[in-house]
Amino acid sequence: MIRIVLRRLLLSGTAAVAAAVPGGQAAAQTASTATPAGTTVSNTAQATYSVNGATQTVQSNTATFVVDRKVNLTVVKAQNADTSVALGQIGAVTAFRVTNNTNGTQDFLLDPDQNLGTIIYVGTDNYDMTNLKAYVDVNDNGTYEPGTDVATFIDELKPDEARTVFLVGDVPTSQLAQLAIVSLHVTVAEGGAAGTAGARLRQTTLNVLNQDNEVDVVFADNDSDGIGGDGLHDGEARAYLAYDVGVKNVDLTVNKSMTILSDGVSTLNPKALPGAVVEYCLSARNATLLTAAANVTLTDIVPANTTYVAQSLTIGVAGGTCVLLGQGQDDDADDANDPGPYRGSYDATARRVTAIIPSLAGSTTINASFRVTIN
Amino acid sequence: MLSFLIAAVATPAAAVDPLRLETRILAERRVAAPDGSTRVELVPPARVGPGDPVVVEVAFRNGGAQPIGGLVIANPVPRGLAYRAPHGTEMPELSVDGRRFGPLASLVVALPGGGTRPATASDVTHVRWRLSTSLAAGRGGAFAFRAVVR
Repeated sequence: MIRIVLRRLLLSGTAAVAAAVPGGQAAAQTASTATPAGTTVSNTAQATYSVNGATQTVQSNTATFVVDRKVNLTVVKAQNADTSVALGQIGAVTAFRVTNNTNGTQDFLLDPDQNLGTIIYVGTDNYDMTNLKAYVDVNDNGTYEPGTDVATFIDELKPDEARTVFLVGDVPTSQLAQLAIVSLHVTVAEGGAAGTAGARLRQTTLNVLNQDNEVDVVFADNDSDGIGGDGLHDGEARAYLAYDVGVKNVDLTVNKSMTILSDGVSTLNPKALPGAVVEYCLSARNATLLTAAANVTLTDIVPANTTYVAQSLTIGVAGGTCVLLGQGQDDDADDANDPGPYRGSYDATARRVTAIIPSLAGSTTINASFRVTIN
Repeated sequence: MLSFLIAAVATPAAAVDPLRLETRILAERRVAAPDGSTRVELVPPARVGPGDPVVVEVAFRNGGAQPIGGLVIANPVPRGLAYRAPHGTEMPELSVDGRRFGPLASLVVALPGGGTRPATASDVTHVRWRLSTSLAAGRGGAFAFRAVVR
């Protein structure tokens, strides 16, 4: 009968390729097994037949086309939460991951962006980072190292490989700063020249003749954010993170003053005589405009040769000689039964007065006063 | 009478072969019709990347004076393509090794650790068509299969 002789010619690798990719459709479409751009796919058929009992074979022409560059990339954030920063912090880092899903080795251009004005976050962006830069994690250890991670573009990234990219910036000192949304904007560029950032890829124009046997550039990337910061099939992608000012320093000052209230002799101009009553005034001021200071604790040791006047500790808004309409505190150490938002106590053994202000609002002053008699 | 009309048949044997065989690879392009449906057009493979579907077509024609019998056309799946399905009504025989041919369901692939698993379309390495009737002089046809760029 008819015996098929299979000449492989250009197709000698066919069986090997098929054996290496046993996973079916899914495997055929992942980047790791994707046919590299520029590969020539050639087809040749062969026929066996008989004419008047004589068996003959014939080979077809070879049809070829060149696999085009199907450009795709993924940019995702590489940390779960936003970066918590302090005001004035230098070199605050957010981390992203860039994956090359193109069937070719590409460069990737990095562009650090401030907030784009699009609504993508819970929370309102109200400040910009200064000196914001993008750096590649050159040694791929996931940690930003200022002296090492200095590359500003991803060089020669192979298909299906990924790199971590850091955005590094400084937090301003403005007390208004709360949340800065940033995004890493990545553009696919030409590969091939190691150490040099390639030009960004341009999609080959449609309707150009004779494209079968040249490598066209075809953008196949998604709209990575769906809100206008990125577009469909544009060879670009971006991801978002934020710098959250979690801890703020406040400008806190404490002053102490004393007033002699009475000496039992002169009412107009009392002197520091034995038996005179002296009022000490501790004044706590938070000069930071909008940030409250929590749990401000004032302590003072009652001076030698004086005696603390029981139940005389009063805490409240500054006014009068020290405290205006303040709340008197009991002297015991149990703060739970103290009136008002404040807490106070007197430790007779240590001769120590303690006044606690649970929350000292920005740009306000709270005073604490207590009295002693001169022995 | 022998014919030299088709320049694409470039192999030396073509000079004496009555059967002319010509292959081409076409890309599938989806075209949206005004009524909302989608039509698939076959176009030259100008813009084809990994994952894109193509159609491999083999056209044959009896250019001789005698009828041709027992025609078998074999087409190894090109490197860079993965077989998907027949295109048209002619069902090809398939092979994953170039030796045993049959329907896909009858084929198995040897596993590296021993044993076998059922073959998938991506395992197919060779496609073969048989023409059951003889091909009269001047007559021809075409077989095709669908594939995807790996």
